[in-house]
Amino acid sequence: MERRLSIKGRRELTRPAVYAGLAVIVALLPLFFESPYILHILILTFIYIIATVSFRTIVISGQFPLAHAAFMGIGAYLAAMAAKWLGMSPWITIPLSALITAGIGMLIGYPFSRLRSLYYAMGSLFFGMGIIQVIYAGGSWTGGYSGLTGIPALLPGVGSKVPYYYFFLGLALVSIIALYRIEFSRIGTNLKAIAQSHVVASSVGINEGGYRILAVGVGCFFVGLAGASYAHYNMVLSCSSFNFMATLWLVMYVLIGGVSSFAGPIVGTIILIIIPEYFRDLKMYSPFVNAVILGIVVYLMPQGLVGLPRLVKSKFTERRKTKKVNHAS
Amino acid sequence: MLLEINGLTKYFGGLAAVRDFNMHIDEGELLGLIGPNGAGKTTIFNLITSMYKPTKGKIIFDGNDITSKKPHEIARLGIGRTFQLNPLFADFTVLQNVSTSFHLHPKSSLPDIYFNTAKYRRNEAYILEQSQEILKMVGLDKVENELAKNLPHGYQKMLGIARALAVKPRLLILDEPIAGMNPSEIDFTLDAIRKMQQQKITIFLVEHNMKILELCERVVVIDFGQKIAEGLPNDVRENKEVIRAYFGGERVT
Repeated sequence: MERRLSIKGRRELTRPAVYAGLAVIVALLPLFFESPYILHILILTFIYIIATVSFRTIVISGQFPLAHAAFMGIGAYLAAMAAKWLGMSPWITIPLSALITAGIGMLIGYPFSRLRSLYYAMGSLFFGMGIIQVIYAGGSWTGGYSGLTGIPALLPGVGSKVPYYYFFLGLALVSIIALYRIEFSRIGTNLKAIAQSHVVASSVGINEGGYRILAVGVGCFFVGLAGASYAHYNMVLSCSSFNFMATLWLVMYVLIGGVSSFAGPIVGTIILIIIPEYFRDLKMYSPFVNAVILGIVVYLMPQGLVGLPRLVKSKFTERRKTKKVNHAS
Repeated sequence: MLLEINGLTKYFGGLAAVRDFNMHIDEGELLGLIGPNGAGKTTIFNLITSMYKPTKGKIIFDGNDITSKKPHEIARLGIGRTFQLNPLFADFTVLQNVSTSFHLHPKSSLPDIYFNTAKYRRNEAYILEQSQEILKMVGLDKVENELAKNLPHGYQKMLGIARALAVKPRLLILDEPIAGMNPSEIDFTLDAIRKMQQQKITIFLVEHNMKILELCERVVVIDFGQKIAEGLPNDVRENKEVIRAYFGGERVT
């Protein structure tokens, strides 16, 4: 009993220490990599981490949204247009368009909260496609097919990517902590309860519709935040960054990292953005490689890459057990 | 009168599952609902808890019309229920199943939950304690850290009751609580039901097993969605309508 307690105590201390260590390493990365190209890849990784972690917040409530990249587009285009045509400061457009994205998400989430499983996925898929068509139809307002250019920069006059790196690192950390708090409080428990059985959940007084709309609102807020800050970082927007393929990429990141744990989307995003960049010369084959990776992960590691250590551990203990049994007989 | 049902009617397409059904439940009563398969017993439960919307009729709980409320609002008013096929939060532990259900009394506001205030932590500590007490009452305290899906059938049934008790119900609706249980589990469940009675919880249940019906103070018999008899369990057994509903003819004496 005493031994178990001490192990638990040690684990409680080491966990935050490991996270703090990781954060320090990530914060020091710009000292070792001066190349703007590498910093650009890392900044994109931070943006997509916000998108995938917020995607999972909606998934744990039992809804599978196929319009998440489109909501990122809503945030991005709203911020870009408000800054470009109305002359608003990026520091206002970013939070404002995140809030509006959340509002649109909740408005759409209300009728959609009556749909379940495949029907929800299909409904959100078509909503996402509709958004892209609206952006195309926007003419000179949205830039239409040729994209929107000349978006005011978040940090005007800053040539280096290092300040942007720290801005997006901070944004990603704040988003991760905010979404972590939701998942590991009673709110997250209620969302998971609804996903397991909406009939039981409402029979014990959990407001199914309300919590599902809340999950969509929170997810859309953070993905809108990611999109809006991306617009002011990239200064050029193209519709194809937010279409159905873009959503499928988010789904890939989440599935390969592992949908059942909080760290899954983070690990999946890092690996699937950074590794393909390493083999950039082979980019033409990347859809095939990704398909093979997804196949292997889904087939061999149903819990995604995050579940790998646990999987290896359980295989080892299994082997040890069978050895013991053989020995005994 | 705790619950009053007036002229309740439910059509599925052209089929009347429940037709012009009237009944009432008094405070503190243990009431049984029986009838042949397909008579509409579960439909009545689903209508009371608003899983279905009635075609016609009124349901009044404690003076309030609850006919058009949503299922979670019904639970908040104090009606807990179990299900015949007994769905659970399968990937939660036994304790989590109960503590998740135990969120109405005391209820924490969303900001309290999110910012982990002292009030929220106090509420959660209280909920944990109360949940363990409920588990002790239904005899699941030894398996509180098992996943619900790994429990044997009888335990899962008891967990369903524990979960319904966690909403602090004034009216507890049990849909075949002892179906599929072995004799010792049945005795245990009957004990638990007696304990709930002592705590002044009104119970309304469907069951085929005579052992549990003998506990009932009153029994309502339905067939083809209509009430055909009502009264003490032993009187109902002698009722000609009831005998015809179950056996298709008069009993040979």
